Amino acid sequence: MSDIPGGPMASRPLHFIWLLDCSGSMGINGKITQLNYAIREAIPEMRKAADDNPGAELLVRAVTFSSGASWHLAAPTAIQDFTWEDVYAHSTTDLGAALRLTSEALKTPPMPGRALRPVLALVSDGLPTDDWRSGLRDIDATPWGKRAVRVAIGIGEDADREMLKEFLANPEQEPLRVKNPKQLVAAIRWASTVAVATASTPAVEGDKQLATPMDRTPTITAGASDDDVW
Amino acid sequence: MSDAHAAAGPHLAGSAHAAFRLLGQDVTGRGKEYSQDSHLAFLAAGGRAAVLTVADGHGAAAHFRSDLGARWAAEEFAACARRFVAGALSGEEPPGWPVRREMARDLPRRLVHGWRLRVARHEASSPAHGRAGEAPAFDAYGSTLLGVVLTRELLVCWQLGDGDITLVWNEGPPEAPLYAGQDLGDETESLCQPEAWLRARMHWRPLTGKGPPPAVLLSTDGLSKSFEDHDGFLGFARGVRDRVESEGRAQVQDKLAGWLGHAATHSGDDTTLVGAIPVPLERTTERPE
Repeated sequence: MSDIPGGPMASRPLHFIWLLDCSGSMGINGKITQLNYAIREAIPEMRKAADDNPGAELLVRAVTFSSGASWHLAAPTAIQDFTWEDVYAHSTTDLGAALRLTSEALKTPPMPGRALRPVLALVSDGLPTDDWRSGLRDIDATPWGKRAVRVAIGIGEDADREMLKEFLANPEQEPLRVKNPKQLVAAIRWASTVAVATASTPAVEGDKQLATPMDRTPTITAGASDDDVW
Repeated sequence: MSDAHAAAGPHLAGSAHAAFRLLGQDVTGRGKEYSQDSHLAFLAAGGRAAVLTVADGHGAAAHFRSDLGARWAAEEFAACARRFVAGALSGEEPPGWPVRREMARDLPRRLVHGWRLRVARHEASSPAHGRAGEAPAFDAYGSTLLGVVLTRELLVCWQLGDGDITLVWNEGPPEAPLYAGQDLGDETESLCQPEAWLRARMHWRPLTGKGPPPAVLLSTDGLSKSFEDHDGFLGFARGVRDRVESEGRAQVQDKLAGWLGHAATHSGDDTTLVGAIPVPLERTTERPE
């Protein structure tokens, strides 16, 4: 409609950032292989979630952490152009470094003021080996970090549940715990889609995010064909 | 207009001797079953005052009755504004400016009281969470509220939560008197919060000697957030006023649904705009368009 007065219009960016544990323990029992598979499998669902939220321009990035942290996918990438390059497991679990790296991206600028709330999706299978709390404080100190929709997935029995819960910063929300590949696929799919929908809806000041949508957390059960391996 | 729905008509009311021409349009966001915005625009005091209001129900799952909350917010503001006009601006001896201002400052408290009363009554017969005897679930009805009373001598604006009140002047850029910067991440204050009247902002502007702005526009946040930047939105406000001037109110009213529908495809949100355009003094005895 070219006769609309005023400046150009555009959908609002919704930044989705994966924070992925690539420590050596993720190489045990095929966890890293299944994580790569699960993220790849979730891409069509993320595209569908983006289509269902036309006001959002879904942009994906990924940070990996092991010995230090780095951007696995540094450029905010439109979900329509997003493909997944495998990540690999080695070394320690420097979550704090990943949180500090992410906090730099959550400042304004580079984040535009008109963006929707970003989504931070943390996946980990163990105990952090660095000062992760200072990294979390850096996230919380940014205007977008404290407003971010957060989801956390713990893989296996050794995942640090207390750390994941502290990351969520919402007493009404629990981390997702997965014990086998099928559950991981379900959890990644859920995190990819429900979090996007949640970030696209308004919040009354002071509301704890995701409190209600967590009702739609996938039912993760261990049936006869889903033997726990982690 | 994609699959957005538009509504105007019954929400607008004019007068044969109007000092203002009115605009009003509500477009439902793409893919939504119904709008959670509400608006009213009418003339009071025999056409000498324009009353405008827009309410934006939050719409999220926690606020699943916010369409009702928005409707009642607009209706309660209209009732409060009528009382304000009758008490402060009408009659043979209207009160002085300090008294009028105090009446204006008291309006949010009355508005919130009326809104909570309506919610409580509804909750008594139809509890949001299905449990009778519990405290009313005000959160379920959460809504923002913008309101304006405009005469040739006075402009008063009230705002609780997000949205935009924009004044377009002949000279200089459009003015947003209650703009407090962009609400990061769509956070908003709400009528459903405790003592919500304390969160209301007011803009009080006697217009003696200057006359009213050539356009006063109220819109839900869905409109301004569909533009790449705030200047683009302010340009839209000026464009609406200029088009009314060059093409006439009726033409612009006809186009609003298309414009707002296009905006809604970018914001994904319900989008509502109301406005008042002063009629030149020499034309106030003519019939409106």
